[in-house]
Amino acid sequence: MSDTADQTVVVPESGAGRSDMIVLEGVEKIYPGSTQPAVSQLDLAIAQGDIVMLIGPSGCGKTTTLKMINRLIEPTAGRILLDGKDVTHVNGDQLRRQIGYVIQQGGLFPHFSIADNIGVVPKMLGWDKQRIKERADELLHLVGLEPSTFRDRYPRQLSGGQQQRIGVARALAADPPVMLMDEPFGAIDPITRDRLQDEFLEIQRTVGKTIAFVTHDLQEAVKLGDKIAVFATGRLEQYADPDTILTRPANDFVSDFVGGGAAVRRLSLVELAHLELHPIETDEKAADSRNGVAVAEVDGSGKPVSWRHLPGADAAGTPLVTVPISGSVYDAVDVMLDGSASLVAVVDDEGRAQGVLHWNDLVGGLRTRKGDA
Amino acid sequence: MSTATSETVDTQAEAAVEEEEKKQGTFARLWFQHYDLVILPMIVILLLLFLFLYVGTRDLDTIEVRVLAFDNVQGLLAQHLYLVLISTILVLVIAVPVGILLSRRSARRLQGPVLAIGGFGQALPPFGVLLLMAFAFSFGPTTAIVGLTLAALLPVLRNTVIGLQQVDQSLIEAARGMGMTSRATLFRVEVPLAVPVIVAGLRVALVLNVGTATLASYIGAGGLGELVQQALRLNRINVLLVAGGIIAALALLIDWLAGVAERIVVTRSG
Ligand SMILES: Nc1ncnc2c1ncn2[C@@H]1O[C@H](COP(=O)(O)OP(=O)(O)OP(=O)(O)O)[C@@H](O)[C@H]1O
Ligand SMILES: [Mg+2]
Repeated sequence: MSDTADQTVVVPESGAGRSDMIVLEGVEKIYPGSTQPAVSQLDLAIAQGDIVMLIGPSGCGKTTTLKMINRLIEPTAGRILLDGKDVTHVNGDQLRRQIGYVIQQGGLFPHFSIADNIGVVPKMLGWDKQRIKERADELLHLVGLEPSTFRDRYPRQLSGGQQQRIGVARALAADPPVMLMDEPFGAIDPITRDRLQDEFLEIQRTVGKTIAFVTHDLQEAVKLGDKIAVFATGRLEQYADPDTILTRPANDFVSDFVGGGAAVRRLSLVELAHLELHPIETDEKAADSRNGVAVAEVDGSGKPVSWRHLPGADAAGTPLVTVPISGSVYDAVDVMLDGSASLVAVVDDEGRAQGVLHWNDLVGGLRTRKGDA
Repeated sequence: MSTATSETVDTQAEAAVEEEEKKQGTFARLWFQHYDLVILPMIVILLLLFLFLYVGTRDLDTIEVRVLAFDNVQGLLAQHLYLVLISTILVLVIAVPVGILLSRRSARRLQGPVLAIGGFGQALPPFGVLLLMAFAFSFGPTTAIVGLTLAALLPVLRNTVIGLQQVDQSLIEAARGMGMTSRATLFRVEVPLAVPVIVAGLRVALVLNVGTATLASYIGAGGLGELVQQALRLNRINVLLVAGGIIAALALLIDWLAGVAERIVVTRSG
């Protein structure tokens, strides 16, 4: 074990020109009455604007680590810096008002309306009523819920997925630079979870928070994380970007944890927008002249509906399936398997065809577009 | 595709909720949810009506007329309500704060012993307690009120402790995690969510007190028990019937009122 320890020591990255927002230095937690530390000698630096996923088997200290950052749990040893300031000894309540916090069950107060739930922290910070109200509406918009419908409802009148969105909105209320999320989508059904994750990434693109996110789902970690921190009992085993974790696990523990499906999981890291796709033609006249190009029939609004011509394949016998260009290769594979199709049309937001991805591309090597990493 | 599926699921759920809201007007919904509350007052009204008609058909002698005179009954009823009200308020003022204190982390070890003492107070026969206290201190309403308070402390104390205990731990964590002080968490989250359980305890205490207060007349504190005593002393069966009927009607009505209050509180706090 001791030889791998060196690899896991985190060297703060200064190359990207971003400062570290959250820094843990030699942080340790030994619960009273326990001899084993729940977290031992943890060094971790999270760059501003990054989403860092904390992952590991149950009981390995993820929640403990998260709660030490906002001092819901007091570290036994070590220092915690937020935006360069040592917060190990500041007033905990004041500190927590500056940090967004989302937990698994949403933790919405059942006796508060949705608007009041969102307004909890702003109210404590002394905002006036009008400003709190406007902020609540703004955030409801942000998380995709119509303010006039939802602001006066009570949590029990919302579905689990909606409640979780309110949980995120509430954490964002006072616009904290840092967010801590403890398995926020853990209790949600897979379909809704997938959508919440997409929305979450969308929101993060606009708010750019620094986020520590606990999960036990590797798929989620790979999808959401800029970096992943893999924990074993009480210690950090590897801290790197998802691709590195999947392709170059630092030790046996991590490779066991990542498991056999690494190659498949990597597919979700590759965005379709970054790929060199095969051309697709929807112009009828071009159909005969270009032999090597797939040609699709389109409906009135320009959306492809069926194949007219496929090079080297039976166009009539191949169903036309589509995947949005905002998705990943994983989504494309999903669609192809689902539709029993050996190729998929990649479409833009309006549903218009942008290109084609073939099943064979997956094994033949995916080509990324020039200029993209 | 997955996105489309989940959207339909969500919209369907929303549509269902909204439709339900539209279908039922406010009044219709209230009636539908609470029509059972109408049953008890009707029984009480029937009981009193029956009593009134029955007594009306009897030839009452002068003593009976005097005892059953409106002024006499009303005075005793007022005394009775006074005893019940004051002792219940005292229970509320003592048991709820003590229950809250007991639920604090630092005082949790005391919960067992204090609840045991409360249980002891409840297990003692109230009649005996009232008599002993009257001999030890004084006869009269003050002693009666103290006795009633002691006998009814436990349900409220216990329900306060339980009510606070059953508050979802994740809500407390969410509150603290957002920077609420432990005090604010207590008064804005824990106590409001425990109120329905506390009110249920108060209802038990109230009903207990209505019954026990009939014994207060034995230590000179008046109340409807006095009417019973007069009937027994004078050997007038009609008076006894009326006394019993009024006491039963009062107990039922007060329980009903407390039930309504409980329903309102529960609806409010969801
Ligand atoms: N309040 C506490 N008192 C004592 N021990 C605790 C306490 N909280 C957690 N622990 C212990 O510390 C260890 C780490 O717990 P933690 O909750 O951080 O795990 P986790 O990684 O979040 O697990 P999970 O994935 O199950 O949520 C566990 O062994 C747990 O039993
Ligand atoms: Mg946990």
